[in-house]
Amino acid sequence: MRVTIDKLAKTYGFLWALRDLHLDLLPGECCALLGPNGAGKTTLLKLLGGLIAPSAGTIRFDGMDFSRSMPALRSRIGLLAPADHLYENLTARENLHFFTRLYNRVNPVSALDAALAQVGLDGRAGDYVANLSSGMKCRLSIAKWRLLQPELLLLDEPYGVLDGSGVDLLESFLKQQCTKGGIVIIASHHVSRVLNHCNRAVILSHGRLTFDEAKQRPWPSFDTAFSEFLPHGDS
Amino acid sequence: MTLLSQAFLMLWKDTLLELRRRDSLLTMFFFGILLLFVFNFAFDLEPDKITAMAPGLLWLAFLFTGTLGLAQLFQAERENHNLDALLLSPLDGGALFLAKATFNLILMVLVEIVVIPLFWILFNLRLWNLLPQVFLVTLLGTIGFCVLGTLMSALTLRARARELLLPLVLFPLMIPVILATIRCMEEVLRTGQFGDQVGWLRLLLGFDVIFLTAGVLIFDWVIES
Repeated sequence: MRVTIDKLAKTYGFLWALRDLHLDLLPGECCALLGPNGAGKTTLLKLLGGLIAPSAGTIRFDGMDFSRSMPALRSRIGLLAPADHLYENLTARENLHFFTRLYNRVNPVSALDAALAQVGLDGRAGDYVANLSSGMKCRLSIAKWRLLQPELLLLDEPYGVLDGSGVDLLESFLKQQCTKGGIVIIASHHVSRVLNHCNRAVILSHGRLTFDEAKQRPWPSFDTAFSEFLPHGDS
Repeated sequence: MTLLSQAFLMLWKDTLLELRRRDSLLTMFFFGILLLFVFNFAFDLEPDKITAMAPGLLWLAFLFTGTLGLAQLFQAERENHNLDALLLSPLDGGALFLAKATFNLILMVLVEIVVIPLFWILFNLRLWNLLPQVFLVTLLGTIGFCVLGTLMSALTLRARARELLLPLVLFPLMIPVILATIRCMEEVLRTGQFGDQVGWLRLLLGFDVIFLTAGVLIFDWVIES
């Protein structure tokens, strides 16, 4: 899948959340989406997920104009929001069963249990999501998207609730996604962590794209751009 | 996945959640019964007036209990941004509409199965043989209520005072259904037949079909907006 964003803009009333955004994302890319609060990161993720409609501009997947009215395209996009998008009064296994059926992925119970075991939730398959901690819910979300195999995976602040082994799990999953030719976009404030495994960084500020480069070491241009949007520094 | 299989999956999920939480059904059930007792204490009806009053009182009870159910209809989707999870998925809006309307219909029918006979007992109505016709009219009216109610419930989903807004939007639009069911029920209780009120029955059927079709077609747009 190739994602092409052209002159994308989104307004909320009179406020420009995003304006004149151009991006071209290629298969296998893992892109860090950075920027201060209110820069437009979550808005961009929502636009890419089809949760909101753009005010102007286009998003194309493999050359096809994207709109929410295309279920076939929607099944190729995933949004991992830690501790969200899960039904509290269904068990971990039932949540996986529900979403895999919804995405038309045939997965027997053994595959669901194996996915839970991979994220360290074996033994919690029959527990209600309401009884899981935030970190466990995030692990369950990882298991969910592992089974659903989206070609474009969007992540909104995935690190906040995960412990060390959870972060390792997530990073190995993201690596797998990119190796298979998927695109991963991670919006996060944990800059050093997200840059560890991303091969591209994009910085948004006040809804505009202010930086877009492939990763280098050393990376003076990134350091300059980064210090501009966060003068007090975020590691 | 077809529209119907998606709708069944959503219905399975909603039923499972309701069996575990039991908040909608129990609230509706007890509220419906409570209303009947209030009516019974408030109106000291003579036997000949009961048949004229019964349809209106019953429908008041159904409207209020049904509105309680509608207010809870998207509760699971409001938690954890699950509506976003559904919008992100390949789920057809029509399937979501069918599932939600059917789920609310099941809850209301379960309540009605208890409330109607209880009404007969409390108001000492002896027309037990007319219950099948009464249930038929009630079912048609309930389908109309659930179909339109699901649409309105989705429209007011993101509104701040949705519990207040929902009946304000829904009840005026329900007037044709209320009028038709009351007229048909009155006739059934009076004569034992639909008689010349068959036109109202057709109106009910037409209302159900039109709003069911419209709901399936426009629900994607409704839920997004």
